Amino acid sequence: MLRTVASSSLAPSVKAKLIRAGFCSVADLQELRPGQLSKEVGVSQEEAAEILKTLHTDALPVNDGGLVARGVTALELLQREQAQGSIVTFCSALDSALGGGVPVGKTMEVCGPPGVGKTQLCIQLAVDVQIPMCFGGLKGQSLYIDTEGSFMVERVVDVARAAVEHCSLLAEDAEQQKAMKEFTVEKILSCLFLMRCHDYVKLLAQSYLLPSFLSEHPEVRLIVIDSIAYPFRRDFEDFSHRTRLLNALAQHLNQLATQHNVAIVLTNQMTTKVWNGQSKMVPALGESWGHAAAQRLILYWEGARRLAVLSKSSRPDGGHCCHTRSLWSAHTPTP
Amino acid sequence: MNWERLNLSPRITAALQKGNLNSAKELLGLSVLELQALTHLSTSDVQQLRRAAARLYCGAAPVRTALDVRNSEPGEKLSLACPLLDALLHGGLPLCGITELSGESGAGKTQLGLQLCLSVQYPAEWGGLGSGAVYICTEDAFPIKRLRQLITQQPRLRPDIPQALVHSIRFSDNIYIEHTADLGALQSCIAQRVPVLLSRGLVRLVVIDSIAALFRSEFQADESMERARHLLALSGTLHHLSHSHKVPVFCINQVTDVIDSPNPGRCEFGLVESRILPALGLAWANQVMVRLMLWRLEGTVSDGDQSCAPRRLEVVFAPHLPQASCLCGVWLEGVRGIPDVVREDPGASTLTEALCRPVERDPEQKDGSMVS
Repeated sequence: MLRTVASSSLAPSVKAKLIRAGFCSVADLQELRPGQLSKEVGVSQEEAAEILKTLHTDALPVNDGGLVARGVTALELLQREQAQGSIVTFCSALDSALGGGVPVGKTMEVCGPPGVGKTQLCIQLAVDVQIPMCFGGLKGQSLYIDTEGSFMVERVVDVARAAVEHCSLLAEDAEQQKAMKEFTVEKILSCLFLMRCHDYVKLLAQSYLLPSFLSEHPEVRLIVIDSIAYPFRRDFEDFSHRTRLLNALAQHLNQLATQHNVAIVLTNQMTTKVWNGQSKMVPALGESWGHAAAQRLILYWEGARRLAVLSKSSRPDGGHCCHTRSLWSAHTPTP
Repeated sequence: MNWERLNLSPRITAALQKGNLNSAKELLGLSVLELQALTHLSTSDVQQLRRAAARLYCGAAPVRTALDVRNSEPGEKLSLACPLLDALLHGGLPLCGITELSGESGAGKTQLGLQLCLSVQYPAEWGGLGSGAVYICTEDAFPIKRLRQLITQQPRLRPDIPQALVHSIRFSDNIYIEHTADLGALQSCIAQRVPVLLSRGLVRLVVIDSIAALFRSEFQADESMERARHLLALSGTLHHLSHSHKVPVFCINQVTDVIDSPNPGRCEFGLVESRILPALGLAWANQVMVRLMLWRLEGTVSDGDQSCAPRRLEVVFAPHLPQASCLCGVWLEGVRGIPDVVREDPGASTLTEALCRPVERDPEQKDGSMVS
C-alpha cells in the first residue's frame, strides 16, 4: 500500500521538511539509512533515525480487534452487531423504538430540559446492564462519569432494588434462581464505577485514560457521561477551541465504543435558539456536536407527560415518538 | 512544571520544555494538532504524552464504586426543621448542589430561608450541620425582627430537641448577613468573602435571597447572552463552593408570569397550565439540582389559636425525589407542614388546577414579622 508522507504520524514540521526534500511516499524512504536521510533533508542524525523508526512502526499492522489488519466483510460485521446485544430501559415503548434497547458498541446522546429524566434514564441503564444473561441482560458492569454532581447513591439503591424485585418475580427455572442469588443490591452497587469530574480538563484527562480502564475492567459494557454539556458550557471564551475539543472527544468516544464493545451514553442540555422570530429549544453544544453521537434521543415535556423522540438513528423507524411514563415507579417497571 | 515526573523519554521531555508548556492542565486542554505544532512530536508520541499527563492530573487513586460511595458518604441532609417537609425531601436539603426555591411574593420563601439558617446550627443528630449560615440579601433589608421572633419560638418549632440544647446555641451570632446591591458586589462576595467563612468552618449553609433580583434589574431584554454568561459564572462558583466544602446552597428565586399560549421555546417542567414559572429561564434551570416551588393557596388553615393562608411546597424536579407536594403553613414559629395527604403525582400534576385561582394576601406587616 502506498502511504504518503503527508498522512504519516510524524510531526507537521518534519513532514514539511521531507516533502520539500522531494519525498512523497513512505516507500521512498524505506531504503535509506539515517546518515543519508539526514544529509538529504537537513536534519540531525538522531532525528533521521527517529523518523525512520516512526515510519517503520506505522507500517506494522495495527492490532485493534483485527479490524484494520486484514479487513472484514459486511456479513461478519452484521453478525458481530447482532451478537453484541443491547441494554433494556424497562420502558417497552422506548426499547422497541431503539430496537431492543440501547445498542452496545455505539454512542447515544440523550438531550432534554432539566427535570425531564435524563439522569434517571442513565441510572436505570447503569443498573439494567448488570441484569444476568438468563434474563436477557448483558451481565456487564458500568462506569458513571458525573460532571454535574447530580449522582445520588440513594436513587441508585431504589432503582437497583426495583430491578432485583422485577427479576425475582420473573425467575422460573433453576438457572434463573441461581443467577438471582448473585444479583443483589450490593452486587449491583459494587459493579457500578463512579468518576466525578468538575471541569472539562478533568473530563478530557479521564477520557484519555479510558482505554486502559476498559482493558483493566473488561466486563464494563456501559459508560455514561452525565452530562457532557455542563463542563463544556462554562469557562469557554473561544468557541472554536471548544468545538475542536468536542469533535476530538466525540471521535475518541466513538472509537472506544467500537473497539471495546461498550455502549456510551452522553447526556446533553437544551438551550433556546431564536429562529425567524420564534424561539425553540434545541440541544446545546452547537450544530457540529449534532454529528457526534450515532443516535440522539430527545426527551421533552408535552403538558404533564414526558415524551421521547429518536431524532437521529441508523434504524429505519427512527423518529418514532413514544410515550414514557414517569420513570419513577420504583416498584413496578413502567409500561 | 517538572516534566521529568512524567517518566517519558528524554526526547519528549526536551520537546515539552522547548514548547513552553507550564502545567499538565494546559497540556490536556490542547488538541493533538496544537500539541504537535508546539512540540514537533509525532502523533503516537503526543498520545503517549497525553496519557502520562492525564495520569498525573487525575492522581493514582483507584476508581470507586457506588458501594464505596454509599459506605463512605453517610448521605446526610440538612433538615428543614419540620418532619413533614423533611419527609417530602427524603431527609432535607442535599449537601452538595444548588437547591432553588421559587414562588410569588408573600409565599414564604424568606421564612424558609431564615428557618434553614437556624436549623443548620443544631448538631448532626438533630438534622443540622453544627455550624452557621451566611445570608446574602440582594433585595430588601434583612428581616432581623422576624429572625428574632423565630429564635424565641424555636422551642415551639422543635419540641423534640432538649430545651437546654436550644437555649445553649447563640443563634444570631452564627448568621453572617451580607447585603449586595449589584451583581459585581454579589460576585465578589461569593468569590472572596464566602470562601473565607467556609474554610474557617464558620458556616455550612449559603442562602441567597434572591438570585433573580440583580439579574433581572441589570440586563435589558436583548442582553440575554451577557446575562447567561454572568449566570453561568456565578453558578459555577456556587457549584464549586458547594462541592468542595459539602455545603448546601439555597437560592431563592422569583417567578415570571406566563402570558402567552404554550411556546415551544419555553420549558414548563411539567407544570401544566401554570400561571407562573421560575424566573431566569433555561440557562439558570440547567444549573439547579433541586427545584422547589412554594405556592400560596386560597382560604385559611388554623392550628390552635393561629391561622394563616395555606401554602403548598412542591418538588418540581430533583435527581432523588419524585414529583410530590406537601401542604404547609407559615406560623409564628416558622414554616411547618400540615398533616394533609402527601400526594405523589408521578407524571401528572393535578394539583395545579387548584393553584390557578387568584389568591388574596394575608394582613402581614411590611417587615415580614407575623401579626401574632
